[in-house]
Amino acid sequence: MLSQIRQRVDLFWVWIGALLAVIAVGAYAVFLIMYKGLVVTNLTDGTPWGLWIILDLSCIGLAAGAFSLSALTYLMGQEMYRPLARVAVFVGILGYSGALMALVLDIGRPDRFWHGWFFWNIHSMLWEVTMCITLYFLVLTLEVFPMVVELPLFDRFPWLRDLGHRVHRFAPTLAIVGMGLSLLHQSSLGGTYGVVVGRAALFRPTMPLLFIVSAVAGGIAFSVHVTLIVQWITGRLLVPARVLLQAGQMSGAVLLVYLYMRFWDTTAGNYGYVPGRTEAFTTLSAGPFALTFWTWEIFLGGLLAAILLIRARFSGSIAMLLTGSGLAVAGLVFNRYHTTLLAFTEPLSVNPPVTDPLVTDYTPAWTEWASAFMIVAILTMLFSLGMRYLPAFKGIQVDKPLEERVPRLVQGR
Amino acid sequence: MSEHTRKLDRREFVKLMGALGISVAAGGWVWNEFWAHDDPIGEANAHGGSGPYWAMVIDLGACIGCERCAFACQATNDTRTGHLWNIVLRDEATFGTPVFLPRPCMHCEHAPCVEVCPVKATYHREDGIVVMDYQRCIGCRYCMVACPYGARVFNWEESDEENPMVPTWGTVENPRRPRGVAEKCTFCSHRIDAGLERGIRPGYDRAATPACCVICPTEARVFGDLRDPDSPASRKMTGRQAVVLRPGLGTKPHVYYLLPT
Repeated sequence: MLSQIRQRVDLFWVWIGALLAVIAVGAYAVFLIMYKGLVVTNLTDGTPWGLWIILDLSCIGLAAGAFSLSALTYLMGQEMYRPLARVAVFVGILGYSGALMALVLDIGRPDRFWHGWFFWNIHSMLWEVTMCITLYFLVLTLEVFPMVVELPLFDRFPWLRDLGHRVHRFAPTLAIVGMGLSLLHQSSLGGTYGVVVGRAALFRPTMPLLFIVSAVAGGIAFSVHVTLIVQWITGRLLVPARVLLQAGQMSGAVLLVYLYMRFWDTTAGNYGYVPGRTEAFTTLSAGPFALTFWTWEIFLGGLLAAILLIRARFSGSIAMLLTGSGLAVAGLVFNRYHTTLLAFTEPLSVNPPVTDPLVTDYTPAWTEWASAFMIVAILTMLFSLGMRYLPAFKGIQVDKPLEERVPRLVQGR
Repeated sequence: MSEHTRKLDRREFVKLMGALGISVAAGGWVWNEFWAHDDPIGEANAHGGSGPYWAMVIDLGACIGCERCAFACQATNDTRTGHLWNIVLRDEATFGTPVFLPRPCMHCEHAPCVEVCPVKATYHREDGIVVMDYQRCIGCRYCMVACPYGARVFNWEESDEENPMVPTWGTVENPRRPRGVAEKCTFCSHRIDAGLERGIRPGYDRAATPACCVICPTEARVFGDLRDPDSPASRKMTGRQAVVLRPGLGTKPHVYYLLPT
């Protein structure tokens, strides 16, 4: 009886069901947030940005694989990256959707989200980011459109498919525009923090550069990582192992460049005593963030990730590639987390008017967690559906998919 | 292949240039018409040498920390408890005896909040006062991240709280702000505007002067035009050592603190 159920149940739909449950809980949190206002979060006047901004920055950073790999494929003529670029573009549009969802939740007036397009403050980094990410979202939509119209669902609309083919012919142009927009906003997201003159921990001209370089490394690593997972679960080959290993190595090399830049930024930037910045670095390296900073951001997510990603190609080890890319992704997320919360740790000696000095006691409320997990679950669900149904990700079947392998494992056959 | 490498002939080139010219002209018109003129940062900084220079002068030697300025502000501007525009900080550790630091908005000349606001909801008025358009604010809170003085608060919820400072410390003159927007001290710009309209002078006449200055029992904080040598603010500063908070940031605050003599 039980074995019959096991054989009949498609694990894919169990997975989708689980995600839907997470989405349902999150939807309730979103309802509370919209109904009562941001008072149901743990954000305060002293810590006005929290989990959602960390999620937003992580989503955009991890989506950077889209522009990097598209540029490699379509502008530098590295045709072998095309299948990986396709995955990255799909990951990209989901990442930007997630970022936009997080921002709509975060702003106090979601009903006025469109103000950025109509009331321009060209001096504002955040205005630049708003314009760029919405324009880039359009570019990604155009890049994904030809993939989506290939669905059997659109068999009845040949004109739509024809349009898809026409749009796809502009792939190199889209890659140029996409790269331009990404080079602008990936870095101006760092600039959003980097120009804040009143917060010494953030006020560094290196911030835009650190953001974009880490995003390229983390974005490529994320695309490689999810491709490996999809291949393992579905038993399909989407991207040749050689290409994945090579992309991983590239990501590792960029990560090393980032760590090098970060090292000098920290060393030269904290020379002697720099009011505010020195205290912030002490908080980061020896205070409440020390454990996650040293383990996740520097050793595991930085150095070890870079070493594994680079070594994986030489030894041809997929396990090493999977671990290295996963660690690099974690490193990026932890970096965005530390950067965001470190902003709100100004000591009284540096900023006399601040009432609650030094380390913030912000921990996200359940509403923030639930809605953040909801966004991640929505993205994961769309990604799973896309990988299952989009013809672009059909790949080559080399092994039985997981849902056929697992019951066999369970029954010991 | 040949299709892609084909050169433009003269006719096409002229057409292309024409189209380009028209789009540049159209773009320039749109820019000029809609955006160029309400550039708050450029104008406020250019305004430089003429018109009033509104400033608040706070005598740290005279402040007794009674917090009446904070009470009057809360009553007048209908702010919510815990989210005040004007606070009095107390420091006992530095000198052994308590020192009080009242902190309104600094109304910086190079205001970080104005520079970072993505939608120009925060802007400089012609007279340099930094105010907000609560109908335009999207509630992104970048201004709160950017303000070096912690002078901004947020409307985390729709507030129906009864104002505990009314009527003892004043009456409400400023409508309460909606949920989801940032807010800040206005130098009681509504009093300044109404006063000037009636021909009375801010700083001299109580009805045209910020509530916090009017109520101060020790005259520790005064308001006025620093370009007018007779204004209470100018007279207060004469012969005293004045400082601003965090001068190194280059924000050029319009709130001056007089060191105790």
